[in-house]
Amino acid sequence: MTTGYAAIAIKNSQGLKFNMDLLSVKDLKMHFPVHGGILYRQVATVFAVDGVNFSLGNGQTLGLVGESGCGKSTLGRALLKLHQPTSGSIIFSGKDITHLKGKALQHLRSDMQMIFQDPFESLNPRHTVGDIIQEPFHIHGIGNTLEKHKKVLTLLDKVGLPSDAINRYPHEFSGGQRQRIGIARAIALNPKLIICDEPVSALDVSIQSQILNLLMDLQKEMGMAYLFIAHDLSVIKHVSDQIAVMYLGRIVEIADRESLYQQPLHPYTQALIASIPLPDPKQRLNFKALQGEVPSPMNPPAHCHFIDRCPIRQNICNQQTPPLASIEGVKTSHKVACHFPII
Amino acid sequence: MHFQLNPLTQKKIQRFKSIRRGYYSFILFTLIVLLSCFAEILVNSRALLVHYEGSWHFPTYGAVIPGKVFGLDYSYETNYRELEKHFNNDSKNFIIMPPIPFNAYENDLKTSAFPPFPPSFKDSHYLGTDTIGRDVAARLIYGFRTAIFFSLILLVVSYLVGVSIGAAMGYFGGLFDLLFQRIIEIWSNIPFLYVIMIVSSIMIPNFLTLIAIILLFGWIQLTWYMRTVTYKEKAREYVMAAKALGASHSRVIFYHILPNTISIIITFIPFSLASGIIALTSLDFLGFGLPAPTPSWGELLSQGSNNLESLWIVSSVIVSMTVILVMVAFIGEAIREAFDPKQHTTYE
Repeated sequence: MTTGYAAIAIKNSQGLKFNMDLLSVKDLKMHFPVHGGILYRQVATVFAVDGVNFSLGNGQTLGLVGESGCGKSTLGRALLKLHQPTSGSIIFSGKDITHLKGKALQHLRSDMQMIFQDPFESLNPRHTVGDIIQEPFHIHGIGNTLEKHKKVLTLLDKVGLPSDAINRYPHEFSGGQRQRIGIARAIALNPKLIICDEPVSALDVSIQSQILNLLMDLQKEMGMAYLFIAHDLSVIKHVSDQIAVMYLGRIVEIADRESLYQQPLHPYTQALIASIPLPDPKQRLNFKALQGEVPSPMNPPAHCHFIDRCPIRQNICNQQTPPLASIEGVKTSHKVACHFPII
Repeated sequence: MHFQLNPLTQKKIQRFKSIRRGYYSFILFTLIVLLSCFAEILVNSRALLVHYEGSWHFPTYGAVIPGKVFGLDYSYETNYRELEKHFNNDSKNFIIMPPIPFNAYENDLKTSAFPPFPPSFKDSHYLGTDTIGRDVAARLIYGFRTAIFFSLILLVVSYLVGVSIGAAMGYFGGLFDLLFQRIIEIWSNIPFLYVIMIVSSIMIPNFLTLIAIILLFGWIQLTWYMRTVTYKEKAREYVMAAKALGASHSRVIFYHILPNTISIIITFIPFSLASGIIALTSLDFLGFGLPAPTPSWGELLSQGSNNLESLWIVSSVIVSMTVILVMVAFIGEAIREAFDPKQHTTYE
């Protein structure tokens, strides 16, 4: 037994992936009906997530990047089963959880948690910090009052908050401290996966790095996987092992961090990377901004979703949907959904 | 467990206290309601204390004490006012009567004249008597007690119904919400007064049936407000966070959403209280309320307006009603001001 553990430890330290994926998502679709009129009929559909495939290993971080309204947060919520996906499947720890309900779903909640974007909104203003952090124990019936109290103190210490915070209310804390409270709540049950829904985008830049480092330290210590949703490419670059770029409900490119930044294949990824602000004013002269607006997710283009804004589009783009696939000349783990990837 | 009030709540209470007329009205009103609970001590035909032949008697609460016990020549209930006169030339025995030594039902008649009798300190009828010789002050105080407890019970029950249905509509939304909206719209178009008239022509309503009838139509208003605030709160991220932790629907509604809607509920309480008093009084005035001889403001009001030459009847009930309703309005205004979300936003 000991040798087995040692072997895993060595593998881990070498940064090798486990064979079994913690989370694997196949052709996930999340469509919302739009009702209207006096008869409350369905008049339209919002294609928020429209066929997404990816997988995530134990202890890994997948960065999910894309502009506002592209369905990143919806994807995160669908994975947590906060929305019931329209179709597709979610395999978590080797189990299909797509249609899980009731007790089984509640049991699953202890393995998957979420950190929210707005630390002012995600904490109930009527509850003390102690109430908020011990809520997971309460819901899952873990420990008595004294044990819960002890656990809350340990968690506060873990996220770097003073122990007297326990009887105070969220509005007495700053944004960064509140986000720490949210993190303490999310890690309370030792989950295997945490979905971080833009956890730092509401914070000051100086606080952002503290929170990011806290998240990375906790990952090292507790070994959980992150699905890290953000729209800030430099944040994503800092935390992720793998990065997926999303556009209008679909993943257009997925790769490990180095190859994505060094060799972006999709024209959208290239435009995103080109838009990262550089401290050198002369460099910015080469920057070409994307033209046009993101189409409405209620009425996306029929095939390639990016077609309206693509600088290199051709006729085929309007006739065939490009599959998310690896191409010749780059790593097999690097996949792109484009008919004319730019190598 | 550690108990403390949320600092925001403390702030609201501070703000409420700083609005003087609302705060003092609140203290006075609470005092009056509490005193009315012990009206038997203040307004009663039974004595507070009788000392007779070395033994002590407290007749206020307890069984009927027949006159023979105090050496009188009858075995029905002692007339303590008579007993007091009887004891006057007796140094050993004494009796303490309540400040208003009449109950709300007895007719204090005179042989020399017909009621109503004007206010008189000599007879201890401080506000006079009504047309059949009952003490106005006693009927006013017991009538207040009936009205305020009627209103309080109605408030609690209708808020329980209104809050649960409203919260369920807002929380579950969809078809459930749609269905209940239509039901409420239809329901609220049933003319309330006709229902009361029909019911009271079939049976004489008592305290509880009257509450039930008014409740049938009284839960609607708060339901609308609760539905709206629940919709608003439901969309906030802390609800999503609770769901992600695996909280049940009832936990989300009662532990998370309800405490955040409490300011709406509290703000409406004084106004509902006032409208409960007004509802009972007007029903009594029209004769569809509580059966005679229950002491009630509405009954006094109709008696007074039929006997305008005996001004003390109508003026005492109008003055007390005005005072109570103005106090409740002051309290309501102060609470609304103290809970104003523009003053205490938690969104920052």
